[in-house]
Amino acid sequence: MTEDEPVERKPGVCIPWQEKLKELPPITGDAQLAQKVWEDVDALGYVYIWQCLLSF
Amino acid sequence: MARDMEALYAQRLNRYVTAMRHGKPDRIPIRPFAAEFVARYAGFTCQEVTHDYEKAFEATRKCAADFDWDATVGNMVYVWTGLTQAIGLKYYAIPGIDIAPDTGFQYKEPAEDAAWMLPEEYDELIGDPTGYLFNVWLPRVSGDVRAPGEPNTFRNNLSFVKGGMAMMQYFSAFGRQNELLRKESGTVSAIAGILKAPMDILADKLRGYIGLVWDLVERPKKVREACEALMPHLTHVALSGADPSKNVPITIWMHRGCVPFVSMEHFETIYWPTLKPIIEEIWRHGHQVLFYAEGKWGPHLKAFAELPDASIIYHCDRDDIFEAHRILGDKFCLSGGVSNSLLAFGTSEQVRARCKEVIDGVARDGGYIMDASAIIQNDAKVENVKAMTEFTREYGVY
Repeated sequence: MTEDEPVERKPGVCIPWQEKLKELPPITGDAQLAQKVWEDVDALGYVYIWQCLLSF
Repeated sequence: MARDMEALYAQRLNRYVTAMRHGKPDRIPIRPFAAEFVARYAGFTCQEVTHDYEKAFEATRKCAADFDWDATVGNMVYVWTGLTQAIGLKYYAIPGIDIAPDTGFQYKEPAEDAAWMLPEEYDELIGDPTGYLFNVWLPRVSGDVRAPGEPNTFRNNLSFVKGGMAMMQYFSAFGRQNELLRKESGTVSAIAGILKAPMDILADKLRGYIGLVWDLVERPKKVREACEALMPHLTHVALSGADPSKNVPITIWMHRGCVPFVSMEHFETIYWPTLKPIIEEIWRHGHQVLFYAEGKWGPHLKAFAELPDASIIYHCDRDDIFEAHRILGDKFCLSGGVSNSLLAFGTSEQVRARCKEVIDGVARDGGYIMDASAIIQNDAKVENVKAMTEFTREYGVY
């Protein structure tokens, strides 16, 4: 994914897992774990920008 | 004899929650939203409590313990300017740096031709709010952040590291502060989570108030679409910061969505239809919302009465609290009604008389929380805040 491509960003999401998945080799281990950790950490970026807007 | 703080905390939490659910507790809860007042009381300057949040925490805990409040906010001088400097935000005037050390921090409204969002950028915001905030808005409101495509800088990189780590540090410190309030004085942390109305946030941080009112005339459809695009995000942020135990409310800080800042038509066609569903969704999740209705919202009280019973707590600033009680009192808990000018310029006797008037007029059946009309800043007299607290504790017993 390039920065110029349009992407649907749902609440809580900056870079959707499905977009990140395209950059990765086939996952041989626990795909659910990989997705959960990606989404949990990605959500911190979302918190950052929306808290900047709303709280600071 | 040492007080059992855990028992005291449980008693206060029950008192506060019972009132918020529109019930009648053992007595009226006292829940001041004390901001720069805590600095005045504890002997700090506004610069100290705004720029060093540990001093604000300390001052808040001192007030909570000395005044024996039921609930308060861990730090009502909420904007920690160490964080805003780390991000390089341009829109704050910091005490002791941009303004006098003993003046509360200020938000600088942008000039009409220097709004943080341009009128032609509505579609970009509507299409991807999160992307717009990162790529367009943040580089514009920060002196350090560079937009995609611009040459990168050391300060750009640093702003995200410092800003992110500072935000994490500050939010984590609130957890510790709430625990200390509970252990040291049995005080309840009054709120959790933040909400703003879509149209308010457009005015506050994106288009500016002047820009928004022009847009309401020139491109109202775009304003409505932008508000609709913001709705799911504002709902998500509110719920993600809410109290997991569903005791204390999410607070909506209501600014300029009321008549005469906007027309009744714009309230009815944009402001309220894009806020009401958020409140209903939050209520479906089991959380109340504290309507911190800054200014006068009298023309809109009947609209607020459309909300489900007990879904909100209505805080009166400059409204006539008796009129608010007449319209909303059957459905919702009210708070406030003791004006900040009275706390600043009145006598203790006048404060006690006003508290009696408010309690007699709106609190006889429960469903009321004592507080000033707006956040208490460093112009309030200590003896008047003491009078409000002590009178309510004595007279507000059911």
